[in-house]
Amino acid sequence: MKAPGTALRWLAAAIVLANGCFPALWILATSFKSEVELTARPITYWPRDPVIANYVAAFRDQPLPTYLLNSAAVALLSMALSLTIASLAAYAIARLELPRRRLVLTGIVAVSMFPLVTLMVPLFDIMRGLGLLNTYWALVFPYAVLSLPVCTLVLVSFFQEIPRDLENAAMIDGCTRVGALFRVVVPLAAPGVFTAGTLAFVNSWDEFLLALSMNSAVAYRTLPVGIQMYQGEFSFPWPTISAALVIGMVPVVIVILLFQERVVSGLTAGGLKG
Amino acid sequence: MRRLARALAIAMALGSTGTAQAAEPVQLHAYVGGQQRPDIMRELFAEYMAAHPGVKVTLEVGAASSDLHQKYLNMVLTAKDPTLDVFLIDIVRPAQFAAAGWAEPLDRYLGAERESFMSRFLPGYVAADTIGGHVIALPALADALFLYYRKDLLDRYGAPVPATWEELARTARRIQAGEHDPQLQGVSFQGKAVEGAVCTFLLPYWSLGGEIIRDGRLSFDRAKAEAGLGMWLGLVRDGVAKANISEVATDDTRKEFQAGKVIFAVAWGYAWNHFQQDADSQVAGKVGVARLPAMPGGESVSCMGGWNWAVSAFSRHKPEAVELVRWMARPEVSRELAVRGSFHPAQAAVYEDPQVRQAVPWFHDALPVVASARARPVTAVYKQVSDAIRINTNTVLAGVKTPSEALDEIEQRIARALRR
Amino acid sequence: MSRRLRDRILDPPEHVLAWALLAPALLLVLAVVAWPVARLFANSVMDVRLSQGLPVRFVGLDNYAAVLADPLFWRSVRNTMVIVIATVPGALVVGLALALLANLPFRTRGPIRLALLLPWATPLAFTGLIFAWFFHSEYGLVNDLLARVGAGPRIWFNSPGLTLAAICMATIWKTSSFMALILLAGLQTIPASLYEAAEVDGASRWTQFREITLPMLVPSMLVALIFRTLTAIQSFDIPVSMPGPGEETATLAMYIQQQAVDYLDLGYGSALAVFMFALSMAITSVYLRYVRGGGR
Repeated sequence: MKAPGTALRWLAAAIVLANGCFPALWILATSFKSEVELTARPITYWPRDPVIANYVAAFRDQPLPTYLLNSAAVALLSMALSLTIASLAAYAIARLELPRRRLVLTGIVAVSMFPLVTLMVPLFDIMRGLGLLNTYWALVFPYAVLSLPVCTLVLVSFFQEIPRDLENAAMIDGCTRVGALFRVVVPLAAPGVFTAGTLAFVNSWDEFLLALSMNSAVAYRTLPVGIQMYQGEFSFPWPTISAALVIGMVPVVIVILLFQERVVSGLTAGGLKG
Repeated sequence: MRRLARALAIAMALGSTGTAQAAEPVQLHAYVGGQQRPDIMRELFAEYMAAHPGVKVTLEVGAASSDLHQKYLNMVLTAKDPTLDVFLIDIVRPAQFAAAGWAEPLDRYLGAERESFMSRFLPGYVAADTIGGHVIALPALADALFLYYRKDLLDRYGAPVPATWEELARTARRIQAGEHDPQLQGVSFQGKAVEGAVCTFLLPYWSLGGEIIRDGRLSFDRAKAEAGLGMWLGLVRDGVAKANISEVATDDTRKEFQAGKVIFAVAWGYAWNHFQQDADSQVAGKVGVARLPAMPGGESVSCMGGWNWAVSAFSRHKPEAVELVRWMARPEVSRELAVRGSFHPAQAAVYEDPQVRQAVPWFHDALPVVASARARPVTAVYKQVSDAIRINTNTVLAGVKTPSEALDEIEQRIARALRR
Repeated sequence: MSRRLRDRILDPPEHVLAWALLAPALLLVLAVVAWPVARLFANSVMDVRLSQGLPVRFVGLDNYAAVLADPLFWRSVRNTMVIVIATVPGALVVGLALALLANLPFRTRGPIRLALLLPWATPLAFTGLIFAWFFHSEYGLVNDLLARVGAGPRIWFNSPGLTLAAICMATIWKTSSFMALILLAGLQTIPASLYEAAEVDGASRWTQFREITLPMLVPSMLVALIFRTLTAIQSFDIPVSMPGPGEETATLAMYIQQQAVDYLDLGYGSALAVFMFALSMAITSVYLRYVRGGGR
């Protein structure tokens, strides 16, 4: 697509930057403010007297590195599980002769139609019965199931775009269908795979309610739950919480950026483009 | 002093090895919210363990907000999980815990001592913790809503501490007119739809003698309720309270008073230390504490707050757990919590203790308020009642509903909640 | 192992392989979700209020009837549909714009991509709280900015309409990244050759967009729309942190959470959830008709 005029481009870019960064910049600015400045009138945007006390407090009041580690572990594990299972299922749906395909697809998507809150009490019961409470697995399995529908559908739409000839060529060369899946289809559908992966990762990272119930022990707490802990019965220390948020967002941003590169840089040398 | 006490305790424990068991220590898990000074609790448990070598107490710290604290307990207890043995519950919860069968009734363990044991606590708290004749929980921390006021401003204008809301409004308007500060609020109270808004609704209503539930049925007095809501609306209309009062939550009141922008504040006990000790406080040394004003022809009442020890009905070590909560309910422990954590005691005698008088002198003025505090409706469906009241109080203060419409919804929702 | 047997295992007939590949997904779903969902439907036809010490009893369709007669339920459905109707197309449009921008051969691509991702990286639980602070009538920057351009300050959360507007803005902000990401990936699969050919044919940029980009984005758009819609129907985290007056702006998910988790009225809460499921099913079945399956 031919690029629009430069001026328009820069304007558009400015809007995108403002839109995306504004709340994040606000969090960053707030993390350097003192509590009193928040309720000053007129309101200030940049901190008048920046302090780093909030970052100190963020680390001191809660074991932030532990929370980050737990969130990362749970997110990565559930992402891996989701992607693997979704790839297999998506291939079956996109490529193979499957009786009642529409039903299967609807069934998988239907999983997303139940708000998590309604499944929570029995799910807690199950995990408790299996003795999995306060372990990573209590969250990894539910999160993997939660992301399964969206990952599957994304992969289905990508697998469909890939011409069959490529797989057939691989199979003529002696590959099995499953082998073709992992050696030909998945690499070609890389943008889709990384997209699905990012979706699964962020879904897990964001989840709060289940994490609160299943992993209440400090050693296994995830980040959203951990950050809620800064909140007092009556108080909501924005500066400290902002500092914790900044620290908590850095890994996610890095992961997404890395994955994003793979999505956009197009690993599809030859196969699809032109 | 503490070390001496601990040494004595250890000595006593060593001296009483006659009954020591050779078996593994009993593991008890206690659950406390982040706001209840888990650090102090840990020290107290350490003292307990020193005095009771056969028992090990581990403390689990939960969310600081009462709501999240309760959500977690809801989940765990619905699943009949035996991991928690002992927990602190909010003063409004015992009825729900009793109905759900989550708390182990303690009367059996208190036996003949029950009367004398319970008589040391303030009557209001005993009533809130005794459901259907059973002692469900033991009071640990007390609290009440106080009227904080700017002593310096009242002195400057020669105004006495108001005894009625009308007086308060007049005094506030006079001071506001004199100070020429457009940001100075006459009174700050909770208008946001948080739990505090339940108290906002109840204070004038109770003052006039209204009640909510009697014998498991809705016993609502609309006229009194309308008068109460009308009183708050009047304050907003006359500029005594700020126009966006519906955005003010519990801590906002505290922060704004602390910044010197408020003459009268309706707030809980925790605010005092902030006013006097915070580095950025504009009101240190200028704060007075009084009973809340009354409605015309009514009496002064306050709203009860606080936390209580309960034993899980699913605990595998009930006798030991009950021992623990009995120990924690002793006056000595209450005194430690008052001195170290500025928590109001639930036992009248502790207020007179010299250590307490020295550490927190204002507790002396606080006692009448705490003793006169009333418990919010004691019912298994408290959450539903609370939601009905706080939500509708907020819509009235936001100007979205008339008091009449709001009261309709309150009645409807509570009636549905009480259905059998 | 004989060659024939090995072949049968490694290269089975299509439909056998299909089910074998689906098996892990189905097993996982069954293990994690089947029992809770079964409990949900079972509870919906019973009166389950254990936390009030009431016995469990079968009540048939009473819960469903109560739901239909409940004005609070209808209010929550109205609020939810407002959010769905505003934020699904809203996020699509904004997301598409963002994706197109991020796809352009910019020299300074990095910041653009970062700006795209930051809304996504902001934890959902805090997005609502942040925007609630922005819209605070005294300390929020929205009123501050409005004052600077001469417009009067408003008490946003005193009005259900304004509150919903604020909620939709926050939701679109947060979810446009999600849409953009899926659409961006979709844009990558459009062969450059198609555009080149169109250029040669003298087609304008707008025509290229309409005739090439949009049609080829349809599969990605469908996926994005399905899940954006499902999430919108289940809106919880943002509306719960940006409460309007009372519960005037409560969504269906918030109502369900209140009944099922706070009140532990599992019978009624489950019936509400079944309604939400039915609503989700109805809306997405329209979309699913357009998702092609199988080989071509």
